[in-house]
Amino acid sequence: MSDEQSWRAAQPQWSWPRIFLRFILDSAGVVSRGNGPYYAWIVFLLLVIGSGVSAYANQVSHGLITTHMRDQVSWGFYIGNFAFLVGVAAAAVVLVIPAYIYNWGPIRDVVLLAEILSVAAIVMCILFVTVDVGRPHVVWHMMPGLGTPNFPHSMLMWDVLVLSSYFLINYFIVTYLLYMGYTGQKYNANFIMPIIFLSIPMAVGIHSVTAMLFMGLKARAFWHTAILAPRFLSSAFCSGPALLVLIFLVLRKIGRLPVSEHTLFKVGELLAYAMAVNLFFLGVEVFTEFYGETAHSIHAHLQWFGTHERKDIAIYSWTALACNFTAFIGFMVPVLRRKLTVLVGACILAIGGVFVEKGLGLLLPGMTPDVLGETYTYNPSLNEVAVAAGVWAIGALLFTAMVKVALSVTAGTMRFRARSVV
Amino acid sequence: MEPDPSKQHDYRPPPYQLTTWLLLGAALLLIVFLISLRTKHQPDTSRSYPSRALIADGEAVLLPPPPMNDEFVPCGDCHGAEEVPNPERRKLEEEHDAMKVAHGELWCLQCHDLHNREKLRLADGSLIAFEDSWQLCTQCHGKKLADWRAGVHGKRTGHWRGPKEYQPCVFCHNPHAPRFAPIAPKPPPVRPEQIVLNGSASEARAHDEAE
Amino acid sequence: MTKPSEKSEGPVRGASRREFLRTGAVAVGALAGAPGAAQALEFDLESFFQKNFRELSDEEIDDVVKRLSRRYSKQYGAEVSVHATGPMDGVLYGYGLDISRCIGCRRCVYACVDENNQSRDPQIHWIRVLEFEREAIVRGFDLEDGNPYYDHEQVPAADKIYLPVACQHCEESPCTNVCPTGATWREPDGIVVIDYDWCIGCRYCMASCPYGARHFNWTEPSIPAEEINPNMHLLGNRPRTAGVVEKCSFCIQRVRDGRYPACLEACPVGARKFGNLLDSDSEIRTLMRTKRTFVLKAELKTQPKFFYFYG
Repeated sequence: MSDEQSWRAAQPQWSWPRIFLRFILDSAGVVSRGNGPYYAWIVFLLLVIGSGVSAYANQVSHGLITTHMRDQVSWGFYIGNFAFLVGVAAAAVVLVIPAYIYNWGPIRDVVLLAEILSVAAIVMCILFVTVDVGRPHVVWHMMPGLGTPNFPHSMLMWDVLVLSSYFLINYFIVTYLLYMGYTGQKYNANFIMPIIFLSIPMAVGIHSVTAMLFMGLKARAFWHTAILAPRFLSSAFCSGPALLVLIFLVLRKIGRLPVSEHTLFKVGELLAYAMAVNLFFLGVEVFTEFYGETAHSIHAHLQWFGTHERKDIAIYSWTALACNFTAFIGFMVPVLRRKLTVLVGACILAIGGVFVEKGLGLLLPGMTPDVLGETYTYNPSLNEVAVAAGVWAIGALLFTAMVKVALSVTAGTMRFRARSVV
Repeated sequence: MEPDPSKQHDYRPPPYQLTTWLLLGAALLLIVFLISLRTKHQPDTSRSYPSRALIADGEAVLLPPPPMNDEFVPCGDCHGAEEVPNPERRKLEEEHDAMKVAHGELWCLQCHDLHNREKLRLADGSLIAFEDSWQLCTQCHGKKLADWRAGVHGKRTGHWRGPKEYQPCVFCHNPHAPRFAPIAPKPPPVRPEQIVLNGSASEARAHDEAE
Repeated sequence: MTKPSEKSEGPVRGASRREFLRTGAVAVGALAGAPGAAQALEFDLESFFQKNFRELSDEEIDDVVKRLSRRYSKQYGAEVSVHATGPMDGVLYGYGLDISRCIGCRRCVYACVDENNQSRDPQIHWIRVLEFEREAIVRGFDLEDGNPYYDHEQVPAADKIYLPVACQHCEESPCTNVCPTGATWREPDGIVVIDYDWCIGCRYCMASCPYGARHFNWTEPSIPAEEINPNMHLLGNRPRTAGVVEKCSFCIQRVRDGRYPACLEACPVGARKFGNLLDSDSEIRTLMRTKRTFVLKAELKTQPKFFYFYG
């Protein structure tokens, strides 16, 4: 009996909630089975999550003093990771556009994984914001209905709304596509395509709103610039697809993911454009700050040359720039791009460069010197790094689980089989 | 102690009757207006100013000056009525040398009366008590008088709306050396690096040295 | 894994949802002998479900202040009384600071600490006194050059000038705009207040304040019981908890009773002025009219109500 027939045969006795429950149970089964390296990976992630949970418990019991954030630098590593991950989440759209709008087959095979990555990234974003607040047990104060959200003035409110909606949309798309695949049905294009198309402007939206969170703060001269939102977009389009390329290669090796090198090289080409734009935006920002120097340029000065109070940020900024530029060369030159090792190297450099540029490279110059001119040397504490690693591990675990299910479904090894007993 | 139920939070008129506030406010305005009239159009003579008095209705009270410190001996203890005073401008020795005098180009008899050591002497020759010394100061420091009257110069305590106390000049300024002497400041704030979990706020953190 | 169709429940009125949650939690708690358990765990159900201050009715506010008075009296062993005095009509508070008088002695800083029950360890100061070179009068105050950590034997130090900075209670405050929960707002009398029970501690307001006026409780604050100021206002100097933002409240517990703020009364040189901006004969209006006055970071158009002047 083919899958389609099996499903149809089951129809009268099986309502879709029961089939969906089966889907969940089968997914759990798929996730819990694997080979040695897979178990090792899962155990590793669980260990990191465990340490993160313990570090977070420490933070909850003592307060945020366990971090190295203080009044002078009141946002740090957590928000830096959040900004970076919002970019990763939005970058799925880079692949969605050619896949669905231009109906370009080679990318369409892998766009599901991009959507899964964005789901995992959004979950990590929400977790990073949650671990950053001082009183997480009362975040319901922000919810419409339960609390008193400051809508429409507070950009953080907007951010919560668009992040939640984007998460739900992407999660729904992924689950729907997988469920349809699982039951052997053809997905209803008229139903799902509008939702997929909606996720494209939403991806741009979440990113712009997160950038507006920073841009709207006139107290912070480094962030109070119109180019922050475009820079967020451009750096997201560099880091997200680069991360995807690496993930595809890993999955191709261990998960038998059918992705051709041609697809990867095409993504590399897209990355070249993205990195070109990213470097251009960086260039114009640097020009503005150093050509027409004002008192506010102290932040850019700290970023590139350091001040007498803090010098180390400069090293990170130049390193990130070098990574980005090298990656750009690797992506742009076709003969280089088509060498897999070069592509992988360029992707790693791009991810690293953007992580620095958009993580602490965004937070530290924005907050240092502070609004009263004071420089506090902030570096994340061990506790902070442990919590952050735990959040990353949760995202990785979620991603691993969802990808395992997706691969099984697309490969056909996970299918709905009607049974007389549930 | 239970909180006063009349002090409910609301956006209606305050606990007190609106009328009372309006009357008090009107009274305050009237008083200040009258004072402004007197200060602007009346000459600076001791007979015009109310001294040591309420400006009106418990609004602002001029506090008496602090008692003199141990350095000062009442002038009458040494200077008797039969004494022949020496009006020559000079630097005083004997009994007066411990006193630091640093008030511009002034010397003693520009403020103290030549014949009556218990009184101070205004420019027009009239004598005033030591408690009214602010009249003497403001002969020269006229701008400060206007500011002091308005509350812009000097210190006031009490209520911004309600009874307040303000102080005569000698409350803060030593008339012989009016410029303030420096004082020891209170401790500086702790640096953010020094705020750690288990230690006291004054413990420095190791990461500072590691940089 | 959750079902995708259960994105969110249908629209439920906020109040009824709160009631449902509250009833549910209370029911469960009652079953488990919650009063004893909650007390043991130091978890206050009533406090947890307390609404945003601006949504509370007069009776509810009364309950809150009574509950807090009881709690703090017990905690500090003093007759604590928490009020929630409302604003006076026709009043907009303004503050003046005479830069030619300030000697940087920091007595205002510590008077504020005592009056407003600020944490001693970790140390929180609502007022920060910046020391500048005297040339700043001519060149303009570049806050880069301000030093809050000066530690001379005596002040004023030679050729130095002092600028105390605290919350400016801006008329166009960026902080009230960005708070996601509406835990901070400007009262009709101009004071920017924080509902400490509603703040979630996201610190967005701290990022948005151009004056560094807001401070965070990085851990549970500690106030010696014998130094507690028992005269408290719910939106002012009642003790805070870990994870909330706090700042100068213009001594709301004093000024709404018509009294001067504590910093003004502590200043030994009379550099601080306070009054009603809507009263043209007040001290503050007089100095604005007769003295050279400026505000900090005027180009940001926050319209602060803290006016620095040369007296």
